[in-house]
Amino acid sequence: MRVERILTVRRGFGALLVAACCSMVVAAPPSKVALTNVRIVPVSGPPIAQGTVLIEGGKIVAVGEDVKVPYDAREFDLSGKVVMPGMVVAHTWRGMDIPNESRPVVPQLDAADAIDPSQLYFEECLRLGHTVVHVMPANNTVVGGLGQVVRPIGLSVAEMTIDDGGFMKLSMAPRRGSDRMLQMATLREAFAELQDYVARLAETKYEEKLAKEEREIDVLPVEARKRGRKELKADHIDDEHRNLIRLKGGQVTVEGESGPTLFSPLGAFVYCGSAMDVPRAIAFAKAHGFFDRLVLVLGGDSHKAIKALKKAARPVVLPENLVYRDVDPFTNKIEETFVPKVIADAGLQFALLPGPSASLPERMLTYQAARCMRYGISRTDALRAITQMPAEIIGVGERLGSIEVGKDAHLVVFSGDPLEFTSVVERVFIDGIPAYDRSEDIRLKRLLTTKSDESADDEQ
Amino acid sequence: MIMDFGSRLRLVAALLVGLGTSFAVSAESPSLAFRVAKVVTMDAADSVINDAVVLVAEGRIVTVGKRAEVTIPDDARVIDMPDQWLVPGMVEGHNHTAGGLGDLNDMVYLTNPGLDTRATIDPNNRLIESARWGGVTAVMLIPGSGTNMSGFGTVSKTAGDTPDEVILRTPGSLKIAQAGNPEWYFGGVGRRFMNWNTRQTLLKAMDYNDRWTSYEAGTSTTKPEYDPIFDGFRGLFKKEFPATVHTQIYQVLLTTVEMLGRQLDLWVVLDHCTFDAWKVGPLVVAQDLWVLNGPREYHFDRTMNRMIGNCSGWWKNGVRKLGVNTDAPVVPERELSYQATMACWYGWQPYPALAGVTRVPSQALGLYEQRGSIEAGKIADFAIWTGDPIDPRSACLMTVVDGRIAYDAADEDVRRF
Repeated sequence: MRVERILTVRRGFGALLVAACCSMVVAAPPSKVALTNVRIVPVSGPPIAQGTVLIEGGKIVAVGEDVKVPYDAREFDLSGKVVMPGMVVAHTWRGMDIPNESRPVVPQLDAADAIDPSQLYFEECLRLGHTVVHVMPANNTVVGGLGQVVRPIGLSVAEMTIDDGGFMKLSMAPRRGSDRMLQMATLREAFAELQDYVARLAETKYEEKLAKEEREIDVLPVEARKRGRKELKADHIDDEHRNLIRLKGGQVTVEGESGPTLFSPLGAFVYCGSAMDVPRAIAFAKAHGFFDRLVLVLGGDSHKAIKALKKAARPVVLPENLVYRDVDPFTNKIEETFVPKVIADAGLQFALLPGPSASLPERMLTYQAARCMRYGISRTDALRAITQMPAEIIGVGERLGSIEVGKDAHLVVFSGDPLEFTSVVERVFIDGIPAYDRSEDIRLKRLLTTKSDESADDEQ
Repeated sequence: MIMDFGSRLRLVAALLVGLGTSFAVSAESPSLAFRVAKVVTMDAADSVINDAVVLVAEGRIVTVGKRAEVTIPDDARVIDMPDQWLVPGMVEGHNHTAGGLGDLNDMVYLTNPGLDTRATIDPNNRLIESARWGGVTAVMLIPGSGTNMSGFGTVSKTAGDTPDEVILRTPGSLKIAQAGNPEWYFGGVGRRFMNWNTRQTLLKAMDYNDRWTSYEAGTSTTKPEYDPIFDGFRGLFKKEFPATVHTQIYQVLLTTVEMLGRQLDLWVVLDHCTFDAWKVGPLVVAQDLWVLNGPREYHFDRTMNRMIGNCSGWWKNGVRKLGVNTDAPVVPERELSYQATMACWYGWQPYPALAGVTRVPSQALGLYEQRGSIEAGKIADFAIWTGDPIDPRSACLMTVVDGRIAYDAADEDVRRF
């Protein structure tokens, strides 16, 4: 069970609240589940033509051709079906009420405060086999706040949560109505203000110390700020600045009434709206100490900065539109680039996002992966780009993204090969819980049933 | 020479003190005996007394019992209504009519902890007056939901001439609006910012309370500075009054239950609770919070393709601390009984619905020790109805507030229906 992060910690009180929050009711998965006679695509290794995946307590405990099914396991005979790991959406604002707040710099905010478990988006995730969703503020921001990694089942955000997101959203591309100069100025200001804030806080703490000892101020402000540093405790710092400190690599421990709460360093998802944003994002991350935890979210023609991307060798989240289209202004000749190929050829770790189309199949991650294969990316890499790689990028790679013993049982059962366009998701298991069954998907049935089907049923 | 009103009042008071307290009180409220067909007491045992007499003196209920068993004192004025029902005065938990229709919202900040409806109480404005026509005897007067925290509410009686006479408790509650209106604040805000900001304001107030509490307990020697913005919150954290929360829609309800109920452990009354909010029922039960549903009593569920009664949904999900509200002036407070009627039309049950406009809101707002049931010793707040108030054919004939007849339909000058 996760330790729920309390989104705000006031002085000396945070840990108490955290302790109070561990009692959330979570649906217990059936203790033992066996998927038998199924073709297994583990992604982390070669496929198994016909085998068994055994789940116990929500974890995968055995995978292989000769796995003995315990007598008390609930068995799903999946002859002729194919099972793959639950797919991972690396970056989306869906699931929240709005993509971005109106204020440009909001590092104190958290996606968990806006995630709506009742949104149809999450039902859709089940239907498509997307079992891990990294809900993140969208790109129309400067410092946008924290994300949250959730599964698409659960009554409350606490039940849905897989991991408290370890990433802050930033954007190098200008917000609507702004330009790159203002964008950068605002970003620089946010970090410069942090220095100022800490300095002033230190000065205040030094003054408070003197006041307690009934002494007069004896030094100039510059010196008071230095001396006050010693008086400064992590829990004097507010949410906004604490998160920026974490982003810069700081590990913050806040003492509470029931013990310390540790806030680990944050990574950053930095949106680049064009090639020119990429080197600036990299430079900014280096300057502020989060380059090692940097993920670049690519948009527009960012792939053109491939040299800088390759040199940085940081993971990237690809645009929803996989094909970038350039028009030569003189000849009107259209030149198309298949973006994932450029990135894959550079040897970068990358995550595919579901397509932007309103049509059902195009929103599937498997569709994106299939297109990658068509454009020359290996089947293994294409499958990894919708499972293992995004899981690693968002920091849950040890628990999710492949079918391996010890991993969380997020499994998607397809009617055939997952990248075959006639295949559909038949079942989804999340932490061993049978979370989706296509034969009971009422909304899908309504969508796919015609009047003539109904009358044919009546005649029978 | 004209004596101003204040000094005249002081003179009268001085005279009354001189004459002795008992005389003063009995002169103001003579004892009354109500002979009725049925008393729905709304006591803990849910007793109903048929063919009953209720004796009232000095503002309180003295005796409740079968007609044959109660001796009516000679000097009591007998109100003989042998075919009618006597039920506790209704309590309206969510009401914006403190000063009529003005003074609803101050859009200063997204949270406005320093404001209070006490400043707007106008006891005999037309809207409050009309509450008496529908058997409503107490109301929670709260500011609007334009911002996440619009100020403190006031619990008030529906009869009386000055603010001091009608105010039952101040602050009556803290008004919080989680979402579904405040997002229109200036440039627009989302739930991430609203929730963070509301929580932040409450934590600051909690800090203020903690500093004072430890100073008063002697664990800290530094006397905190008095802060008029946060001082009102002390009662909230001491659970002397609840947070009245404008909340609706599944996710928003979740936030209320999680943040205000579980994390901050406040006394929470969930108001509105509309749309698909009833689906949060199990979590509301787990946190033991109050639900006052309304003004909308139904929700069209697109998944099920049918109409859902909100109260029916809450009830089926196990919520028993359930009542309704009018959100007056959205629905006039005199129609509180119709809110319960409508909840029944959409699948709730009449007796719980009657409790949902009397006992439950009275308990939810912390008034039940003194009011909200017909029991000896309680303050005499009740109404006489031609039948079950939940039956829309029934009419309110008389409303008694503090043992005084505040509305009498027999009086042609005040009769409205």
